[in-house]
Amino acid sequence: MNNLNAGRDRLNRRGLLRQGTLGIGALALSQLLSRDLQARDAEPAVAELHHPPRAKHVIFLHMVGGPSQMDTFDPKPALDQWHGQALPRDLTEGQKFAFVTPEARVIKSPYKFEPRGQSGVVMSELFPHLATVADELTVIRSMKTNEINHASGELFLHSGHGRMGRPTFGAWTSYGLGTENENLPAYVVLKDGLPVAGAPIWGSGFLPSNHQGVEFRGGKTPIHFLNNPEGTSFEERRSVVDAINELNGQAYQHYRDPEIETRISQYELAFRMQSSVPDLVDLNSEPEYILRQYGLSNAQDASSGSSFARNCLLARRLVEEGVRFVQVFAKGWDHHADIYTALPRSVRKVDRACAALIQDLKQRDLLDDTLVIWGGEFGRTPMVQEHNAGTGELTAPGRDHHKECFSIWMAGGGVKRGLTYGTTDEFGFGVVENPVHVHDFHATCLHLLGIDHELLTHRHQGRDYRLTDVHGHVVHDIIS
Amino acid sequence: MCKRDIHGRGMSSLMRRVVFCATFLVTGSAFAQTSVEYDYNRDIRSVLSGKCFQCHGPDAAARAADLRLDDRNEAIDYGAIVPSEPDQSELIFRVTTDDPDLRMPPKGDPLSAEQIATLKAWIRDGAPYQAHWSYQPPQRPAQPTVQAQSWPAGELDYFVLDRIEQAGFKPAPKAKPAVLLRRLYLDLIGLPPSVEDVRAFKADPSPENYEAQIDRLLRSKHFGEKWAAGWLDLARYADSNGYQHDDLRTMWPYRDWVIEALNDDMPFDQFTIEQLAGDLLPNPTRSQLIATGFNRNVPTNFAGGSKVDEVRANVLHDRVATTGAVWLGLTLECAQCHDHKFDEISQKEYYQFYAYFNKAIPEFAQRGEGMFRKHFIGREVMVYASEADRQKGAELTREIELEEERIAVLAELAGAAGEKPGPEVTLLDFEEPNPFKQHKATRAVTTSLVEENPSGEGKYAVRVEAEAVTETKGFFGTGYSIPVTNLENSSELTFWIKTDISSRFNLQVHNGRREASVYEFSTIDLVPEQWTKITAPLADFVKPKWSPRAVDWKRIQKIQITAHGSSPYDGKYIALDNFVGVASSERAKRIARIAQLRVELAALQTPSMAMMDDESPLQTHIMLRGDYTSPGDPVQVGVLGSMHPLDPKLPGNRLGLAKWLVDDANPLTPRVVVNRIWSEVFGRGIVSTPEDFGMQGEAPSHPRLLDWLAVQFVEQGWSTKRLLKVIVLSSTYQQSSSASDEKIERDPRNELYARGPRFRLSAELIRDNLLAVSGLLSDKIGGPLVYPVQPEGVWKEIPGADVNRYPTSEGEDRYRRGVYTVWRRGNPYPSMVNFDAPERTVCTTKRDRSNSPLQALTLLNDPVYVEVATELAKKIEHWTGSDREKITRAFRTVLSRKPNERELEILMTLLKERSSWFVIAQTLLNLDETITKS
Repeated sequence: MNNLNAGRDRLNRRGLLRQGTLGIGALALSQLLSRDLQARDAEPAVAELHHPPRAKHVIFLHMVGGPSQMDTFDPKPALDQWHGQALPRDLTEGQKFAFVTPEARVIKSPYKFEPRGQSGVVMSELFPHLATVADELTVIRSMKTNEINHASGELFLHSGHGRMGRPTFGAWTSYGLGTENENLPAYVVLKDGLPVAGAPIWGSGFLPSNHQGVEFRGGKTPIHFLNNPEGTSFEERRSVVDAINELNGQAYQHYRDPEIETRISQYELAFRMQSSVPDLVDLNSEPEYILRQYGLSNAQDASSGSSFARNCLLARRLVEEGVRFVQVFAKGWDHHADIYTALPRSVRKVDRACAALIQDLKQRDLLDDTLVIWGGEFGRTPMVQEHNAGTGELTAPGRDHHKECFSIWMAGGGVKRGLTYGTTDEFGFGVVENPVHVHDFHATCLHLLGIDHELLTHRHQGRDYRLTDVHGHVVHDIIS
Repeated sequence: MCKRDIHGRGMSSLMRRVVFCATFLVTGSAFAQTSVEYDYNRDIRSVLSGKCFQCHGPDAAARAADLRLDDRNEAIDYGAIVPSEPDQSELIFRVTTDDPDLRMPPKGDPLSAEQIATLKAWIRDGAPYQAHWSYQPPQRPAQPTVQAQSWPAGELDYFVLDRIEQAGFKPAPKAKPAVLLRRLYLDLIGLPPSVEDVRAFKADPSPENYEAQIDRLLRSKHFGEKWAAGWLDLARYADSNGYQHDDLRTMWPYRDWVIEALNDDMPFDQFTIEQLAGDLLPNPTRSQLIATGFNRNVPTNFAGGSKVDEVRANVLHDRVATTGAVWLGLTLECAQCHDHKFDEISQKEYYQFYAYFNKAIPEFAQRGEGMFRKHFIGREVMVYASEADRQKGAELTREIELEEERIAVLAELAGAAGEKPGPEVTLLDFEEPNPFKQHKATRAVTTSLVEENPSGEGKYAVRVEAEAVTETKGFFGTGYSIPVTNLENSSELTFWIKTDISSRFNLQVHNGRREASVYEFSTIDLVPEQWTKITAPLADFVKPKWSPRAVDWKRIQKIQITAHGSSPYDGKYIALDNFVGVASSERAKRIARIAQLRVELAALQTPSMAMMDDESPLQTHIMLRGDYTSPGDPVQVGVLGSMHPLDPKLPGNRLGLAKWLVDDANPLTPRVVVNRIWSEVFGRGIVSTPEDFGMQGEAPSHPRLLDWLAVQFVEQGWSTKRLLKVIVLSSTYQQSSSASDEKIERDPRNELYARGPRFRLSAELIRDNLLAVSGLLSDKIGGPLVYPVQPEGVWKEIPGADVNRYPTSEGEDRYRRGVYTVWRRGNPYPSMVNFDAPERTVCTTKRDRSNSPLQALTLLNDPVYVEVATELAKKIEHWTGSDREKITRAFRTVLSRKPNERELEILMTLLKERSSWFVIAQTLLNLDETITKS
């Protein structure tokens, strides 16, 4: 297509979409070209999806650090027998470990596992609350990744690439599907601590920067610079925005530059966000029973460990408002040392809120449209780690990073209910059946959103990039 | 214009290309219809490349059905193309058939009817192939004939006007002097003109005075600050490592080098050579070494489990990719795992390029196998932060020399009598009931008290035994907590050791968890298994790389002894006794004083990273599937075979590579560079994919203009300033940026340049301009990072980072230009992020210009901009004159031009309503025009 024509088509987006030969790439392109909010509003992206979507929203609960699969969702009774011995050599041969040596001794899990619900999905005794919604879950025990370090592991889980610079899953979703609510970002990030890779794991990489995640923070300023400076009243701000927009309108008369029109609508939107966002993050409007369901004693509850519960509740509110992708980070899952004190503590912080989120979405008929994902950037070794890698000091036992297998669960958004998928070996070291690589996971999630992962592309440096790079297979077995 | 006979064999390649382009120009908006006119590179190759080369292109490994369509002979031999017979050609059959099993391409959208018609026409014409346009050397094109003879001010205007006229448009009128002067200031120095500057220019807007303004601004020391930002994006310059911890690093001397080189208008070829290979020049200067920081800027993953070799491979891959994007406009990284799918770059050639960088000495290290954080080694250049520091450094050096002389005198006085030792502080004698609480070790060890005493005092020593390590490298250590002890007045630490280990040892002293200083000693020269007394002068302890700060001698809390080495230990035990801090004699005090002075001297200087090659570099191998753990065939250094040849006289190192890149025969580099400069001024490159001039990149919108600029640039000695002068002197540049609705609709992105540029300023320039118009901006050039106000707590969350406290700058440094703001990759400065500042995690060739509500919130509420508005309001308040006059002056200060009646009226109404100058200031600072170059 000639560039001049492309430009003209930007003013007639409907025409562009109707050309038929253009798939989602063209849809995304049209968004790239279109700075005109009204044009974006007018055209629901759903019309261009590759197949009917099962999910419209994603809530991705990332347990930062990497939960231990053997102690949560993947019971390994054989570890009791192997406890204190090294793993068979052929298993560890050629494997990368972060800190332990291949000869490190196996350590068993002290937790009891039981089938839960009607479906009998198995989880350890650490999850009494999640157990009550076991029938909503698909547990995948056979996840695999390429990376054994946190920063690269996080980047891989979110962008399909272990180094910085690529767009993340949420950014691709925003790019492909746009937003349902023009008054809010399509991609929101909530966290109770900073993941180690920092801002790049919610970055937009080479996609247009409006697709990067927008961080909603705790406290009085949920978005940077949201609040008026001290001494500025609501009325004063209204007058200022009116004057700015009126003067910008004058400039538009002169330059006829559509950017000026967009700027005017952005000032209006910013003004509206100054009241709508604080309302949105204010949990006072939630009834007490809902707060309690999530484990919050009241709307102001700031007790230790309450951030994750608040973030889950906020995630539900955001999804209700049409936010496309909510990324929640929960810190504290990197259990190199003293895992049997630290892991129960980490689980306690999330167990009740995860269950509440699923129940709450369900009672609002949102669960069918919302894909909830829980998991870390990798799993942990069956072998023990007993020294602090920073200081060399001896520590109580923990587990090291492990990329060959880990467990995640998903709920809602078109995944099967009460399914356990994939099998690992007797040690929980490697996958023996139905592996789900991170690329497959991405392909499957995009599929649930109505997108063919091979067709959602962006041309950058002469190459059509996609979230799944040149890999990825949709795991149809977990789709209901 | 005739289309069929343009393939006539008599015509030169250049002529043919010119005609091709002209054909396109005429029919640009119409060729989607019935007439089948095409430009090979634009219409044929782009389709073949986009739809076919993935499986039928240069990548032999990915090639399907043994067919390649990028090579005419092979395509014909195969029968895919039968020249002159589209209907006989398998290619046409495959793209048109209804049979889903046969139809190509197998995935993605099929070819459109118009693409098929074009392909058919091309085959009918004999299917002539052409080298990709960017691989053909640029030639000075003939000047086109135009109708509006009086419009062009310079040669480049002819190329622009030709296209404007072809499209049936007229250029826009010249911009008003006030608007033009502001544009010129923003483009050349990135700062707005003062009201007085504008007034003077309006009084004399003659071409002569305009040129005088250009010359003056090109000489301004702020020129380099403006133009550095784009280069720093390419150089992925930042002040932290990225990834886990995101620790800060010192690279700002490199940033200052770029600013200075741009201010000096260092010719681009020299600019290239110094950055890529300054260290390999004969007797390199400090400045040339600092320039090589270009390649040390790469982010590095120093997380616990990452391997040194892996870090190095990732860094070197980045160096190859960045070199390709910055100088060649090629995506070399596509050949990391396999032959390039679209451009003629083989995997072998990729690793030949890689080999240039793989000659570097080791640059990363870690304390021991399985240990945590890694650190930089490699060449460092020590730099002073300022001229004042440099002078202070000279004074300290003199003082050290003086102290040394005094010690020499003391030694003479003392003579053979020797010195009286000072009082002693016993730290550990192992005579207490529980002498080693909190004892920790890295391996399973047993610790016991033994009835031995090396010095004749006390009864016990402590003995630590470990099983010998046979398989992995490792270390073996033992630490003891002690009550907080002040060793400030001590000059040395002594202890006894007996061991059977022959190794290097560390004596570490710690405060609490993290701060440490280390004294290295070796047991290699000791008699094994005999007690030996070690004396460690406090002045000889150094801060290890992994410790954030040197130890505070006033509160020592822990002592640790660690054997460390690169081979397994055969030894078994370490016995220790009597750690004693020995207080100072006169001589020792002076020694301690010297140590203190040295610390002060070191603190004044900062190490900045630079490049250095190894005398016996590693052998480079092809990495199978791009995996550093799977070496394939060995390769030597080399360049791309499809480009100009490498002069065999050039050295086989980065210097040779740099000279090859700026060789006159290189068709790509000058085009890539002028395209970037053009893009900075006009908001969009002539090639809109500045990072990709290869097959998959966009073709130039004005090929002849691009070539003219490229030729001009090289002929004028690769001078950026001369090229810029030519550009800003042109009529094209001086047009008004207002336009009719028709022009906006037909050419929304101003690809014809039938109006002046108009686009939002970059993140840094928005900051600079608002600070400037309020009078707050500091004009200090260069120096260490600055930390302007940012929201509280942003750095507190970075897990495990060395620096968690954001050290907000005080005084002038709060108001420095954006280019000096600390750039922490994982945790960038929030207000700049909102205006599309990249993370600089990879080479960035073009920035977005988004338009978001977060930008409105930033300009309205960021405390920095609230302070700017407050400051401007104060200024307005102090001016004399009526409210109307004050508003007019404020408007002119912020926007350079006078307000019209309506604008004035809006602001007067606002003032009346709110009676606040702050409100007026804030309104002006938030206008679209304020943050836009019009």
